[in-house]
Amino acid sequence: MIKVDRDEVFVELTRSICPVCKAVIDAQVNVRDDRVYLRKRCREHGEFEALVYGDARMYFDSVRFNRPGTIPLQLQTEVVDGCPLDCGLCPEHKQHACLGIIEVNTHCNLDCPICFADSGHQPDGYSLSLEQVDRMLDVFVASEGEAEVVMLSGGEPTVHPQIIEIVELCRTKPIRTVTLNTNGIRLATDPAFVRRLAELRVSVYLQFDGLRERTHRKIRGRDLREHKRRALDNCAAAGVAVTLAAALERGMNEDEVGDIVRFGVGHPAVRAIAFQPVTHSGRHLEFDPLTRLTNSDVIHLIAEQVPEWFRSDDFFPVPCCFPTCRSISYCLVDGGEVLPISRLVNPEDHLDYVTNRVMPDMRVRTALERLYSASAVPGTPQIAEQLECATCGIDIPAALRDLAQKAFMIIIQDFQDPYTLNVKQLMKCCVEEITPDGRLIPFCAYNSVGYREQVRERMTGVGVATVVPNATPLQAMLETTRHGSRSARRLR
Amino acid sequence: MTAADPAAELAKSCCAVAWSGDVVAMVLGESYHPGGLALTRALLGHLGLRDGNRVLDVAAGPGASALLIAADHPVEVDGVDLSPSSVDHANAAALEAGLGSRVRFHLGDAERLPFGDGVFDAAVCECAFCTFPDKPTAATELARVLRPGGRLGITDVTVTAGGLSGELAGLAGWVACLAGARPLEEYSALLAGAGLRTVHTERHDAALARMVEEIEARLRALRMIRSTVPALASVDLDRALDLCAQAAAAVRDGVAGYAMLVAVRE
Repeated sequence: MIKVDRDEVFVELTRSICPVCKAVIDAQVNVRDDRVYLRKRCREHGEFEALVYGDARMYFDSVRFNRPGTIPLQLQTEVVDGCPLDCGLCPEHKQHACLGIIEVNTHCNLDCPICFADSGHQPDGYSLSLEQVDRMLDVFVASEGEAEVVMLSGGEPTVHPQIIEIVELCRTKPIRTVTLNTNGIRLATDPAFVRRLAELRVSVYLQFDGLRERTHRKIRGRDLREHKRRALDNCAAAGVAVTLAAALERGMNEDEVGDIVRFGVGHPAVRAIAFQPVTHSGRHLEFDPLTRLTNSDVIHLIAEQVPEWFRSDDFFPVPCCFPTCRSISYCLVDGGEVLPISRLVNPEDHLDYVTNRVMPDMRVRTALERLYSASAVPGTPQIAEQLECATCGIDIPAALRDLAQKAFMIIIQDFQDPYTLNVKQLMKCCVEEITPDGRLIPFCAYNSVGYREQVRERMTGVGVATVVPNATPLQAMLETTRHGSRSARRLR
Repeated sequence: MTAADPAAELAKSCCAVAWSGDVVAMVLGESYHPGGLALTRALLGHLGLRDGNRVLDVAAGPGASALLIAADHPVEVDGVDLSPSSVDHANAAALEAGLGSRVRFHLGDAERLPFGDGVFDAAVCECAFCTFPDKPTAATELARVLRPGGRLGITDVTVTAGGLSGELAGLAGWVACLAGARPLEEYSALLAGAGLRTVHTERHDAALARMVEEIEARLRALRMIRSTVPALASVDLDRALDLCAQAAAAVRDGVAGYAMLVAVRE
């Protein structure tokens, strides 16, 4: 027998789930060819491997940005079976919720080929009542005291008949920021609705995957370019701050990253762009887990496609969640000039929690922590305040406070799916789904472990199949569910 | 030994005044030397400090390094600077940090240090030796106040011989700390002439590149708001940015760099 040595560095043993049956199983993190992979084996369904970080060096560098967690005021569950089966939040969770998501419905005026929520024109969905939302908000507030951000999502929240009442309800609670996650169709066609959002100080998270017709058709099933343009112009006219949310898929729109950045920087309504590699939960196109896009890939794509403004080292891991989950770059924008904040103050000098190479100025650290956080919503007074504080710490005089008004933010967030799920990251997640039964479930657990299916089944009384990723290696065992996602073929 | 050039003498005072002023503070931030406090800490690691040692910080500026030394080590620190406002600011910062009993700042000139012979166990001088117009005298003074066996830690800008040209070699370059810089070997030779034997050197060129980049970014930020800030109307930001670009090119081409040097008093 010929002995072949390993071609990879074994980094750690962690826990994940089987993407097919969702059983909790051991998983190994390995580095191969300067890339980081997660590999695991289910006794029943065999071996699975996925790329989790495309740049091993950045992966290891990010470790230092791991801020000790803040514990929530109230927990909703007990530890019984261990992570990720006790959500949540359970006493083992390491962080409070920076951001709470309420999916107000499962209905949508689109049937996108890519939708982690498996939403659409469906007969078996649900729509929350005002009373249900009220109880969910109270759970969030009880857990947080003064909560940072609630995001209203769906489905498509703007087709909920009481969406404005829901926003008004949010505004009666001690929650700083309300954001609305939308495809923009109603924003494009109903200017009065946009004006009302402005009055209620709602920030908009607008689905915006690219500028090419093909991208729209492949990801959304329709050419929505004109809708997006009108939605953004209506937001600009009404004074609603917008984050463009781009789902990125390998071989689909990764070459549009630079164009999205340039478009966003140039549009008066846009204050931020959130790039999200497609979450391979729910409904999505067939993908190869070994070549999927990760945070570091997106960072390098931005640096390659917009070299005049950004370098890879302008992006820093967010310390409040697990640092490999999310990276952010802040910049100042003035006409054609874009200046990353990282050129002015090195966040690394203040957000290194492990090696503490320098004595951080605590005022600057606190300000940067609030900026480099999952609860940072662009265009809000909080951001201006913290930016001001971060810059005053570096002796830039008060006059420079004007600069806070020019702040622009690029966020890169790789949500986990059943292939990439690592409980180590999940345990420190700060983005939680608020469920109608009063739990706060980490977003990636909600989408990956089976909680989403469970909640939908309870809310509708109609059985929901366990969703399995539409991955190339699994094709032989998959069948299509009635919502368009995939599940394991039942063997006779 | 040549007499100090009057223009350079003027520049030295200008530097000390300018570096204590708000305009420079806004451009340079609170860590006034390349590598910041992380490099200061690395430098301290080479000085073999012991409990109760006396440490001198020459050209201490607003005192960040001296305070770091006292916070990290149970030693007494004296800082010296040419600018009265820097000295006042630094003394206030020492009190605020609760280090007033172990850290004191004095008005003084590196070429006429206000201390007796051999009183210090160690001395640091960060990004300042290059600005001293009469370097042999400064070296002699450093050697005088150190006890035999005492250590001197320097981090400073280096330039290759005859490498600088144009504006960077003029007065503007003095503020940029480049015009008075020397090759690393020349610093060693200057110190050797005063009885300070170099025992360790390290290159930190990336730290200078990073600092030039930070200065450039701050100038660009100021340019973004210049129309709303009357005080900026008289500042030629474009010329400053042009100087920055020249400095960045000098670093990139290996003409200018940054280095650490540790010497022992014979």
